[in-house]
Amino acid sequence: MNRFAIAQAKSFEDASKVVGDKKYSLAMIKAGGIDLIDLLKEGLIAPDVLVDVRRLRSGKEPIVASGEEIRIEATTTLAEIASSPALKSACPALAQSVESAASPAVRNAATAAGNLLQRPRCWYFRNEQFNCLKKGGPTCFAVEGENRYHAIFGDGPCHIVHPSNLAPALFVCDATVHIVGAEQPSLPIRYLYHTPDKGVRSESNLPAGAVITHITCKPAKASGFYAIKEKQSFDWPVVAAAVALELDGNTITKATVCAGAVAPIPWEMRNVSNALRGVDVTNDEALSKACKSAAAGAKPMSDNAYKVKLLPVAVKRAVLLAAGRKLEVES
Amino acid sequence: MKADVAPSLTNGPTLIPTDMPTTNRPMNMGQSMNDNTSRLDGVAKITGAAKYSSDMLLPNGVFARFVRCPFGAASLESVDDAAARKVPGVIEIEITPKACTYNGQPVGHVVAESPVAVNRALQALKLNWKKAAVKTTIADTAKVQVAQGAVDGADETFAAVYSTPVQTHSSLETHGGVVDHKGDRATVYASTQGTFSVRDGFGDALGLKTSEFEVICEYIGGGFGSKLGGPGKELMLAAKLSQKLKRPAYVMCNRAEEHLDTGNRPSSVTSVRIGLKKDGSVVGGEVKTYGGVGVATGGGGCNVPSGRYTFANVKKDHEDVSFNAGGPRAFRAPGRPQGAFAEELMLDEAAAKIGMDPLVLKRKLAADDVYREMIDQGAKLIGWSDRKPNGSQKSVMRTGFGLGLAGWGSASPGGNAEVVIHQDGSVESRTGTQDIGTGQRTTMAICCADAIGIPLDLVTVQIGRSTLPVGPGSGGSVTSPMTAPTMMNAATQARGKLFEVLAKQSGDNAADFSVKDGGVVRRGEKFLSWKDACAKLPADGVMGSANTGDRGKGDSQGVQLVKVVVDCETGIIFPKHVIAIQSCGRVICRKTAESQIIGGVIQGLSYGLFENRILDRNVGAMVNPNFEWYKILGPCEMPHIEPVLWAHGQTGVKALGEPPTIPTSGALACAVFNAIGAPVRHLPLTPDKVLAALEGARS
Repeated sequence: MNRFAIAQAKSFEDASKVVGDKKYSLAMIKAGGIDLIDLLKEGLIAPDVLVDVRRLRSGKEPIVASGEEIRIEATTTLAEIASSPALKSACPALAQSVESAASPAVRNAATAAGNLLQRPRCWYFRNEQFNCLKKGGPTCFAVEGENRYHAIFGDGPCHIVHPSNLAPALFVCDATVHIVGAEQPSLPIRYLYHTPDKGVRSESNLPAGAVITHITCKPAKASGFYAIKEKQSFDWPVVAAAVALELDGNTITKATVCAGAVAPIPWEMRNVSNALRGVDVTNDEALSKACKSAAAGAKPMSDNAYKVKLLPVAVKRAVLLAAGRKLEVES
Repeated sequence: MKADVAPSLTNGPTLIPTDMPTTNRPMNMGQSMNDNTSRLDGVAKITGAAKYSSDMLLPNGVFARFVRCPFGAASLESVDDAAARKVPGVIEIEITPKACTYNGQPVGHVVAESPVAVNRALQALKLNWKKAAVKTTIADTAKVQVAQGAVDGADETFAAVYSTPVQTHSSLETHGGVVDHKGDRATVYASTQGTFSVRDGFGDALGLKTSEFEVICEYIGGGFGSKLGGPGKELMLAAKLSQKLKRPAYVMCNRAEEHLDTGNRPSSVTSVRIGLKKDGSVVGGEVKTYGGVGVATGGGGCNVPSGRYTFANVKKDHEDVSFNAGGPRAFRAPGRPQGAFAEELMLDEAAAKIGMDPLVLKRKLAADDVYREMIDQGAKLIGWSDRKPNGSQKSVMRTGFGLGLAGWGSASPGGNAEVVIHQDGSVESRTGTQDIGTGQRTTMAICCADAIGIPLDLVTVQIGRSTLPVGPGSGGSVTSPMTAPTMMNAATQARGKLFEVLAKQSGDNAADFSVKDGGVVRRGEKFLSWKDACAKLPADGVMGSANTGDRGKGDSQGVQLVKVVVDCETGIIFPKHVIAIQSCGRVICRKTAESQIIGGVIQGLSYGLFENRILDRNVGAMVNPNFEWYKILGPCEMPHIEPVLWAHGQTGVKALGEPPTIPTSGALACAVFNAIGAPVRHLPLTPDKVLAALEGARS
């Protein structure tokens, strides 16, 4: 860990000025500090200044979910998102996506924007001995190595999975991230990330110097999120799915499906959306059949074909949650 | 040390009681010398008042860490330490280029004024490693042979191959300690399971006589076998540095080093073939076991057949297999859990083959009637009658039941103990042995108070110092069997000396006295209060000492039953209920005994479900040397665990540390087999394997 200065930002605009200032070799935003501390300890970053925005808010409340627009502050914690009654009713997928993320202690410190911008958990990326593609090296070590938790979509060349649970949930709610310090004031979440072929060193399209202030989306009452985790306490999902539905009675008239933990970016599944259209959510067989299409096009690596089997299950359970059905499973 | 109240957590008046009733678990009531006492040092531990070796940040100390090989096989060709030497605070860098054969192998060390400076220097080192080809598994190195042994007269033959991964000890307090060398004397703060083996293991390394230094280990943050033995490379380095620099030297592993280079439970492969008659008797067969010992050449034993079941003519063959990885060290019941996993699942699979309930088969084959009684009791407690035939459930969530046995021999009383009764009525109990988390302080106090017949709060315990009477190393579940009888004996001796003083003064015989209701009684009549009796002692009080005691009879035995629910769409296993019946002779402290059993079950479930040292197959580096990807059972995975203390027919204090972790993973695997109708023969039982087994069962 190198020596660095900490600046307390008075506003997001202030913060963006510091992180955009060329006089620093690396100025970074610090909010919850969860991933940041990991990266520092792992020797993956050496910032000369950290800009603390943890106490900043662009609006009055951490979460506003009463009207036609849902607004979540960048610094709203995962615990606040998970426990907000208004959000649970207006956009259940968002609350469900973070309610069992990490641990209670982490959820109380980790922020919404930090969750979106955290770096991947790939064990080669996180180990300084492996000079992988993401660190400017020549190889993705997962291809020939240990890849049980790696991507089944995306065609590489880097096979990380995006670690955010919140991102796929925001994706199906058609969310927008609002930023300062860049030409455009906002970025739809579907454009927030890029695949490794568009630049393997980073995951997000956020311009240099840009700082997320808040996130907005429309209510999606019929939305759900389901993660399959090996361990129920403090573990990353092996697959996750977020679903938003429009329903006519029990019939799905529109579905938006986005998977997590299966690709280097939140992975939109249009084929599943198409397959779900017209399906009666009480018809278990038809639902299972439509969700099976989630496996289409997957290209598993040597040790992660099991994820291809799990993804349709996660999608189906997310659809059931979105439809307001109670899951009869252990959790 | 007070038994009923402990220091407050805050400055306020709130006191944390250490005396908590256990009436919510009536099962074990009244079976122990002490039913309700919580650990006497529990509050000190959770408030940070207890100082571990890793807390010993002494004034003017220096910090050091090893420079280690990052790959499974690589030779260090050249070293550029110019930048590292320029890091502020760096004192010394010593690196010897050499060929390494495992990830984590030390090639030198860095010493600096602070841990941060050490880490910065390590990151600034430019080391040129030339990688070599690696072998990382048993299968990479040895050809696993299919067991072939004769099965003459069998109605059915069953053959299978089982495997278990490497489990690392994962002690929360890592290996290492602090050496404070003062020239003509030294103090060593060690995180050790053997205070005296550390003392004796230094040899000339401190340049001092044994009488000139003290090893201290008053508290230890986890010891499951890998902290047995001598000082280890960490303390040897600290000794060298402290002597040379004339400053306290602090060398503790970080989490990655702890996973890589402090020992582990070796991996195993077990190939079995057994022949059975329709009535369940095993007529013969063969077991070939392989132990994955990394760079070691031995220590990979896999205990199957265990002897807990009666088999006729089963041939056994074992081979230790070396490859590019850190080697094993003793780990809570070495060789047993890996053997029990194979043996228990093998028997369930064999039972399925002859159409028998596995409980009936295991009951029949169990080595003695104690096991049979335990099985019958356990079956009632877990609700075995609800068990459905293997694979008969069609729902998504399927329930399964499994059963496994444990056994452990017991040590003879030993070590040395002293008990001093002071003039003010307080009592001091001393033995140099350490508390690896089992509650040694608490059990020593109880033994002492119980033998004398006085309240617990009169007793103060001193442990964990090499200047105290010699106590045993805590390995092989010997600490209580050795020290408890000895401590009781010493306490009885001290009490006898008190009686002698009283007799001399009153003109009676010492045999006329006894202690009752906290007071001294003469010929059945109340004589003096304890305090007044002790006031008659000389200023130095009286001391009793002993080096042996009553061994009693019998060995430790146990039966565990596990109930799980398996999500058959995701392959996730949810342990719901564990009955852990365990005999350990005379129970000293019910709560710490129950806690030992519960801890053993937790460690066994964690082994069964998650734990796995994952090495990159190409370069032999561990990809999960942390607690993020080296997964350990967490709070959400905890089933309802019911420890059942079983005292039938045993006397004396018996082993309890190791046996409760032996059968858990095997019983768990049997429960999963029952739920899904297909065996998962390779630990850990992760969703990929469960789903593959389910598919195998369908096709």
